[in-house]
Amino acid sequence: MTFVSIRDLRVAFDGVQVLHGVDLDIRQGEAVGLVGESGCGKSVTWLAALGLLPGKAKVSGSVRLDGQELVGAPRPAIEKVRGKRIAMIFQDPSSSLNPVQRVGKQIMESLRLHRGLKGRDARAEAIRLLDMVGIPSAATRVDLYPHEFSGGQCQRIMIAMALAGEPDLLIADEPTTALDATIQAQILDLLGTIRRETGMAMVFISHDLGAVSVVCDRAVVMYAGRIVEANNIRSLFSAPRHPYTAGLFAAIPDIDADRGRLVPIHGTVPDPKNLPTGCAFSPRCPRATAFCQTDRPHLRPQSGGGDVACFQPVAAPKAFPALRQEALA
Amino acid sequence: MTAPLLQARGLVQEYATARSFFGKTSTVRAVDGIDLTVRQGEILGIVGESGSGKSTLGRMLLGLETPAGGEVLYQGAPMPAPRTDAWRKLRAQMQLIFQDPLAALDRRMTIAAQIAEPLEIHGIAKGAEAAERLAALMARVGLRRDQADRYPHELSGGQRQRVVIARALATNPGFLVCDEPVSALDVSIQAQVVNLLRDLQEQEGLTMVFISHDLKVVRNICDRVAVMYLGRVVEEAPSDLLFADPRHPYTRALVSSIPKPGQGLHGRIILQGEPPNPAARPAGCAFHPRCAFADRGCAARVPELQHDGRRQIACLKPDAAAATAA
Amino acid sequence: MLNFLLSRLARAFLTIMLVMTFAFVVLRLSGDPAMVMLGPDAPKDAVDAFRARWGLNDPIWQQYLAYLTQILTFDFGVSMRDQSPAIDLVLERIPATLALTIPALILKVGIGIPAGVYAALHRESIADRGVIMMSIFGFTIPSFVLGLVLVLIFAVTLDWLPSGGQDTWRHAILPIATMSVGGIGILARFSRSAMIEVLGQPYIRTAMAKGLPWRDVVWKHALRNAAVPIVTLVGFMVGALIAGAVVVESIFSWPGVGRLIVVSVSNRDLAVVQCLLLVIASSMVIANLFVDLAYGLLDPRLRHKSAAH
Repeated sequence: MTFVSIRDLRVAFDGVQVLHGVDLDIRQGEAVGLVGESGCGKSVTWLAALGLLPGKAKVSGSVRLDGQELVGAPRPAIEKVRGKRIAMIFQDPSSSLNPVQRVGKQIMESLRLHRGLKGRDARAEAIRLLDMVGIPSAATRVDLYPHEFSGGQCQRIMIAMALAGEPDLLIADEPTTALDATIQAQILDLLGTIRRETGMAMVFISHDLGAVSVVCDRAVVMYAGRIVEANNIRSLFSAPRHPYTAGLFAAIPDIDADRGRLVPIHGTVPDPKNLPTGCAFSPRCPRATAFCQTDRPHLRPQSGGGDVACFQPVAAPKAFPALRQEALA
Repeated sequence: MTAPLLQARGLVQEYATARSFFGKTSTVRAVDGIDLTVRQGEILGIVGESGSGKSTLGRMLLGLETPAGGEVLYQGAPMPAPRTDAWRKLRAQMQLIFQDPLAALDRRMTIAAQIAEPLEIHGIAKGAEAAERLAALMARVGLRRDQADRYPHELSGGQRQRVVIARALATNPGFLVCDEPVSALDVSIQAQVVNLLRDLQEQEGLTMVFISHDLKVVRNICDRVAVMYLGRVVEEAPSDLLFADPRHPYTRALVSSIPKPGQGLHGRIILQGEPPNPAARPAGCAFHPRCAFADRGCAARVPELQHDGRRQIACLKPDAAAATAA
Repeated sequence: MLNFLLSRLARAFLTIMLVMTFAFVVLRLSGDPAMVMLGPDAPKDAVDAFRARWGLNDPIWQQYLAYLTQILTFDFGVSMRDQSPAIDLVLERIPATLALTIPALILKVGIGIPAGVYAALHRESIADRGVIMMSIFGFTIPSFVLGLVLVLIFAVTLDWLPSGGQDTWRHAILPIATMSVGGIGILARFSRSAMIEVLGQPYIRTAMAKGLPWRDVVWKHALRNAAVPIVTLVGFMVGALIAGAVVVESIFSWPGVGRLIVVSVSNRDLAVVQCLLLVIASSMVIANLFVDLAYGLLDPRLRHKSAAH
């Protein structure tokens, strides 16, 4: 069942359009990856949906949560959604916690706000949440300040705080990017466990395709403020259809393959002030034709499943190559 | 096997922390006795998490930091004392490239001026010759001629890193230390810079130390890899061997932590505990509190780095670890 | 914590000693009190007698040692002018000065900080621009100019308020106003930028994302963080409570510490000047000490070796 429905969401900063009409549905309980390089609009989409962009941002379009419109809704209405229905955690956990407030107090603030818990009850619940996200000796550390925890632990605390409102959807915005490899693995594992236990939906925003592939059911690829491809993880990773998606996969070194040369996408991400006409990816695209430089493709459902916005998509494989298929089984 | 270009012997670095008016200063050991050989023409990868001392090691290899113990030999000769003439001369032969190109560049100088600057400082070329060399350097790193008069902020992150690399190459160095050179770049751009560095190695025989936390990139670019944990090398092996068959429990966890499409969350080794803190170094093997195979001996004795075929490993119980790996 | 306090006290003591020594040396190198007190035409034996009386013929290190022993017994010397104890001369002036500087400080804090915070919360609005302009005006106009302009308007032209003296509370209005304007401007400007900086921090976004009403985001999360830099500045202002009114007291002939400084320096009244400097330096150092302690209260990261992991 569709729970959040985004239609034609557009965002402009100081007259520069950075999001060009995004359509996205999140169903109850599913995990969706949002991937793309910096500036592609993956974070902006959700900051806009929750009204967390600075005042100079112009947001239009529609974001419906169980039928309730969020774009242009009065502040108190959106404040009721934040943390309660949709919670969000961010990239830099250490600076995302208030440095002058005890972590327990920050979690209890959410508990009071969303579940009306106060005093001893709130404290006990905060300790339970900290324990649940894997903070050792939570009962004694609930009164410490953020700087007394490591980056990985701060992200666990952020997750505990997000869980405090028992949200239906967690937006995780690059939650592991700032963390070390072994700690990244811990946090991904924790997010997986929590999802299994609570059944909440998750949007996992990341430029790390590997991380997305292990925690999500399906993924949406964004480029220059638009969705260019969406599909379930298995199909997307085994047979990317959009040349950009294919290029991204080719550019990432494979840990198991030999040391072949990487295949970069040539050129750079376009400046939002100066988007190319036609398909925004066309100047970097090996498959682009003259037509791609004048007309813009729309996101269309493909016969083999998934949505692609491309006039010259990479051919869908008739049968999956055996090797790849095996690896995914 | 080619001759060593650079050798580190028993390198130690310590920093003072927590200085109070009456109290004593306590020291934190960031690098705790490292022996390392960098061979002519190879790319040696150094991986490890924050607090492992990899950046400190890189700076000591370049002679930018004086070690508290041990020595660095470059072409068989000890590193000259900082700010002597010999040291300054060596600067031209060894260069550092680090993560944030914007911080490494002067905002108010055109990129041409910045790339050409070392030519002048080290008296390598002047006038028309310098202009020719500049053009060659820019072409070498894939910058267009019309970008010469741009300022750093007018370029993208990948282009800026190319400028930094061109400037480092200006003096014709024999040795580069790259400290997280592609970590700040987007995936598609990352590959461009990685390929450039590989070209430089293959075509010009540049020797490099490549410091990174990104194992996938290290796997692709490095001939040999040393894994660091709390200031020590715990495993060192040719890249192919290390990633195909990691032996040290820490290396195994590190390699296993790389998310792979299709694998899901299953079968990954999830290390418990926190990343290492140099200020609170565990006794014995520094990794033992997080190690699944550690016993009492591991808490008592510091394992030495020992040869095992083509690899070196510092573990007291490599067999136990190997048994579960199989 | 005790260690921290002791080290701060030791540092404070050292600072005061440095100031005292410096003042002692400079005062003795910068002119002969005998010539100033007795006039250039005084007979030679009068000058000699004066010098002998005040020990001015001794080598400077001997004078310094004598001075140090004096201070350690809380003897701050007597005025060369009228033989009264220097410390009494200084202390009796302090209330008059505080009568100006404390209300001025209250105005600076009470107007400057709210104005700055309001401007930060309504960035780019007309109110914000107004605050910026007023604060630039406030801290660029020198107090002697502002004082004279105020006198010209309110005392001379309108004749609403007296232009000088200390008889009634009405006499204090113009000096207090003159003194506050600059501080209000600086504090407004400073609070605005501190607040804008904090509002851009990730933890503010976190507080919003958890559904906290905007008012609570500001009051519970932003202000406390913005307080750290603001407290530093207010600390400086508190430190200047005693010595910060030299110019204004001179303009409005207000008999406070500032006037005493001007008179004693020009008279080379060594004991009084030294005593003044000691009091002023102590007040600044003490204010600084409190700022340091306030830091620890406001920002747990600055607490010295608090709870370990």
